[in-house]
Amino acid sequence: MADQSPLLELRDVWKVFSGVPVLKGVAFDLRPGEIQALLGGNGSGKSTLMKIIAGAYRMDAGEMRFMGAPVRVESPGAAQRLGIYMVPQEPHVFPHLSVRENLSLGLDLDPEAFQKKLAAVLGQLDFEVNLEEPAAFLSIAQQQLLEIVRGLLRDARVLIFDEPTSALTFREAEQLFDQMRRLAGQGIGIVFISHRLGEVMEVAHRVSVLRDGVMVLQAPKERLTPHDLVRAMLPGTAEEGEGPLEAGGTCRGGRPVLEVRGLSSEAFREASFDLYPGEVLGIAGLVGSGRTELAEAIVGLDPHARGQVRVAGTPLPHRSPAICQRHGLVYVPEDRHAHGIFLDLPSLHTMTAGILPRLGRFLLASAKERRIGERFVDLLNIKLQGLDQIAGTLSGGNQQKVVLAKALAGEPRVVILDEPTRGIDASARRDVYRLIRRLTAQGLGVILISSELEEVVELADRVLVMYRGRITGELEGDAITLERVTEASFGMALEAAP
Amino acid sequence: MSRYLRTWEFALAVLLVVEILVLGAINPTFYDPENLLYATLDFMHILFAALPLTLVIITAGIDISGVSVMGLASITLGLAWVAGINVFLAAGIALLVGALAGLFNGLLVAKTDVNPLVITLGTLFMFGGLAQGMPALLDFLGFKAYGSAGLAAYQYEGITGLPEAFIALTEGTLGIVPVPLLLVLAFALVLGVLLHRTRFGRYLYLIGDNPEAARYSGVPIVRALIYAYVLSALGAALAGVMLTSYMTSARADLGGDALLPIITAVVLGGADILGGSGTILGTLLAGAMLGYLRQGLLALGVTNDLIQVVVGAILIAAMATKQLAHAWGERRLKRRALAKRERR
Amino acid sequence: MRRWLSSREALVTGLLVLLILITGLINPNVLKFRSLVEVVNASLSLLLITLGEMFVILTRGIDVSVGSTAGLAAVVLGLSLNLGWPLSLAILAALATGLVAGALNAVGITLLRVPPIIMTLGTLGIYRGLMRILTGGSWIENLPQNIKALHLWHFLGVPFFVWGTLLVLALTAYLTWRARPARYFYAVGDNPEGAYFLGLPVRPTQFAAYTLAGLFAALAAVVFTSQIGFVSMNAAEGYELKAIAANVVGGVSLTGGVGTPLGAAVGALFMTAVHSMLIFLGVPGIWDNALAGVILLLVVYLDYHVRRTLEYRRRQARIQGEAAWEAEGGPS
Repeated sequence: MADQSPLLELRDVWKVFSGVPVLKGVAFDLRPGEIQALLGGNGSGKSTLMKIIAGAYRMDAGEMRFMGAPVRVESPGAAQRLGIYMVPQEPHVFPHLSVRENLSLGLDLDPEAFQKKLAAVLGQLDFEVNLEEPAAFLSIAQQQLLEIVRGLLRDARVLIFDEPTSALTFREAEQLFDQMRRLAGQGIGIVFISHRLGEVMEVAHRVSVLRDGVMVLQAPKERLTPHDLVRAMLPGTAEEGEGPLEAGGTCRGGRPVLEVRGLSSEAFREASFDLYPGEVLGIAGLVGSGRTELAEAIVGLDPHARGQVRVAGTPLPHRSPAICQRHGLVYVPEDRHAHGIFLDLPSLHTMTAGILPRLGRFLLASAKERRIGERFVDLLNIKLQGLDQIAGTLSGGNQQKVVLAKALAGEPRVVILDEPTRGIDASARRDVYRLIRRLTAQGLGVILISSELEEVVELADRVLVMYRGRITGELEGDAITLERVTEASFGMALEAAP
Repeated sequence: MSRYLRTWEFALAVLLVVEILVLGAINPTFYDPENLLYATLDFMHILFAALPLTLVIITAGIDISGVSVMGLASITLGLAWVAGINVFLAAGIALLVGALAGLFNGLLVAKTDVNPLVITLGTLFMFGGLAQGMPALLDFLGFKAYGSAGLAAYQYEGITGLPEAFIALTEGTLGIVPVPLLLVLAFALVLGVLLHRTRFGRYLYLIGDNPEAARYSGVPIVRALIYAYVLSALGAALAGVMLTSYMTSARADLGGDALLPIITAVVLGGADILGGSGTILGTLLAGAMLGYLRQGLLALGVTNDLIQVVVGAILIAAMATKQLAHAWGERRLKRRALAKRERR
Repeated sequence: MRRWLSSREALVTGLLVLLILITGLINPNVLKFRSLVEVVNASLSLLLITLGEMFVILTRGIDVSVGSTAGLAAVVLGLSLNLGWPLSLAILAALATGLVAGALNAVGITLLRVPPIIMTLGTLGIYRGLMRILTGGSWIENLPQNIKALHLWHFLGVPFFVWGTLLVLALTAYLTWRARPARYFYAVGDNPEGAYFLGLPVRPTQFAAYTLAGLFAALAAVVFTSQIGFVSMNAAEGYELKAIAANVVGGVSLTGGVGTPLGAAVGALFMTAVHSMLIFLGVPGIWDNALAGVILLLVVYLDYHVRRTLEYRRRQARIQGEAAWEAEGGPS
């Protein structure tokens, strides 16, 4: 890695969305031949910063220099012409076009040249795919690889990877890192966004940390420890002074509040377990292990699911979200934007969306509705300017709280939380953890699905691990350690608990 | 978004008043309240169809079959009456047929993932064709479908000779307020309560804003959509019945080219074509605005064709203005946020 | 080959052939070469408009003004001919009208961000109104012989217009299959966001789609003006809806990114054939629209049903595949 002048330089970059500044005077630079990792909590602005570099967003203030010369990158096309390409976290797939065309679109190559280049890249990665099939048939992991191939096909000078390994196996991730090192060796500057400290420490030359729209750290890896990084990202929780949340005591009296027997669908098979009132049951596993699909099947969102579900002893053979709601079983979805929240409507409307039948037979009792809304604003510490504030203008953490309010409004017995702290800031995260404790203290059963294995380890009384669609293990109490949970998530058999 | 809309309805109300003042300044007969009220007879059918269409558009759907339902209702009324059924009962049957048409639309929209535009395009053809073909079919089967005046007269005027009592429907007044206007207002009131005060109405907004979230939240999507499309067709059928009384004849092509003004009324009224917003009041005001505009232009001697151009231009201008206003608002928020940074 | 056979284009072609054969059983006249050519001839203007609309639908847009655009182009054609303009110039003027009308839509949609249904609904009214303003409401009759003669030219018993349209169709089919800018129509319609992030020219592609729709509408106007011999104020009225229906029937999905020019053409042929077959069967033309509506609804419903069944089968296969794979021990 040479120390020539930077490939890319950003100074005092500001970006505002709907009056809310997401990037506040960020400085960033990238040197040729270097692999730089960009870390930051959710909502810190790292994706936004990279999107500005890649031309998907335009900065509202600040300047950018590429190879020493000031540039204005107005569109992704412009960025790509400069030689900057971003491999996105969510793959952009053209489902009806062939895989080949998906890869060749946007490239300025004639068919033979493209074929040669493609063969070379595919050879280096372990990407087995039928090029002529419509891209709709690719799995999520394959789609991500497709995006990576796209990145590698471009003779980019700057390559940005946004969470590239989230759907990859260990081996695939290692192959990717080899590719990155090879490219860096050729003088290409690489930025990769990740939240996996292990990867970062392994592969990066330099590490930058964004917090709340401000760049707080940019230093060579050698000078840093994982602890430094965590502290830079989340100053609050790293201080153990916060105090550990009270260890969950399960009021595991008597009958299970939720019984699942032999539940099967496309993404998972033969799921059977019990949930007791007052306990937090964690479900851990990698992306693609079928956890969300399991949860959706439990609450009746999957018409193809087979198996039995019982809530407080009552069997629910024909389930729908409404029926489950009535019986006290609610699900807080993983993707709140797509499935949970009504962005253009008043926040109150999201909160009461599930309990409208209780607000009156013919006319909606608006006073009652507002009282319910206010109660949850208090309970969940939701920061908004009035119940009528449009949900889309709330911060990620507050949006998640609104979605939680919606689930809790019906006074459920069982709450299934799917990635409840994804994309929210530290203090909101603490509020959610406190809420979970409070719910279990009141005797609710909580299922916590999370990819943040530390979260699962900390909060759960019991943990089920799913691997490739099956529940492969159960851990209880002290046997729940990060190491065991992680290993089980990757399919390694659990040893007997000591 | 609702912040803008509250201003939008107010702006519409202001524009409506200004419009009437301007038109009156050009042609003082406009200032006569009786004339003003009578003028609504000319565009009441647009309002009957546009008001419930608002509900459909709020769900991010669309229904372009209304024009055909108008004709279908009219012909059903005429044929039923020719068959000897009491004319008011025939009107009831016509409304029922309209509701069934809406049910057909609603079922297809709610139960398949086919684009509502395509579905109601198909039913536009189907209902229209049915309205056109029914008299011919019945006549072919031996019934005197064309009314007393026979085929030739039917092709010119439709089924005529309807009883006075029925015609009186659109001639009658309560004080100086014409009965149809009262009906429109009553209809608007009912729809307004449905949309803004019941959970059915709330469901519509939820479905339009985020259909997946609505599904996850347990909203009865199928039922709500079906009701919305039934109401939309019912409104069109009502328009058809009223028009039949007003024109004193039952015809299959009663709807004419009302599609443009109907949709313009809804969009101009503030409803987002992509769903999630819209109000009954807005549609009512916008419909009135357009209706009076047409009246005024006609009184000025402007031809029907130029009026079409004007309405089309207004539709486009209204949308473009909305987009620009929204973008401008965003820019203002951004500027304010950036200005704050100087003080950091 | 197998994939083509299971495609929508093949299905509709098959239905078309079936339709003609069944009609032929009742009225053998329809099976004569001349009758068939006549059916094709009658479908030309709808076919051209349908092709133009295809570009728009491919990009996930919609254009309900193409009928009015065609009418406006026809008016311009008629007026310029009656003013004494040479035929080629008059035709160029008509094509230019279509181009400009389409471009106007394009500007509103891509630059002013007006939703396509609204923009084209507005221009539907504007263009139709313009038609009447330009002609004072009266029909354009007494067109010079040169335009009317055009449709009479024959080659091998097939009218010149049919050859011309076939050429246009072939060209369009080839370009959308091979030419990269044409592939952009598909990409933009399949995933507009993805297309943007990949640096594809999204707005220019959308602009081109609406402009082409206008141009093709003008082409259709030349054809039907020549065939009919005069320009009425209701010229091409309702054609936009028929064109959308023809596209959908032919497999060009309103969700974008799917469909071929051949499909659009076959769809237009089919819709016209239904009308023609009714004539051959002696059924009054009044049932035309009803039948068109029923066909459209049947096609989209069946399409939905087939898709759902295929999806279900695929899921079952995947479940079984996973189970079998697991039974073999799977990965370690």
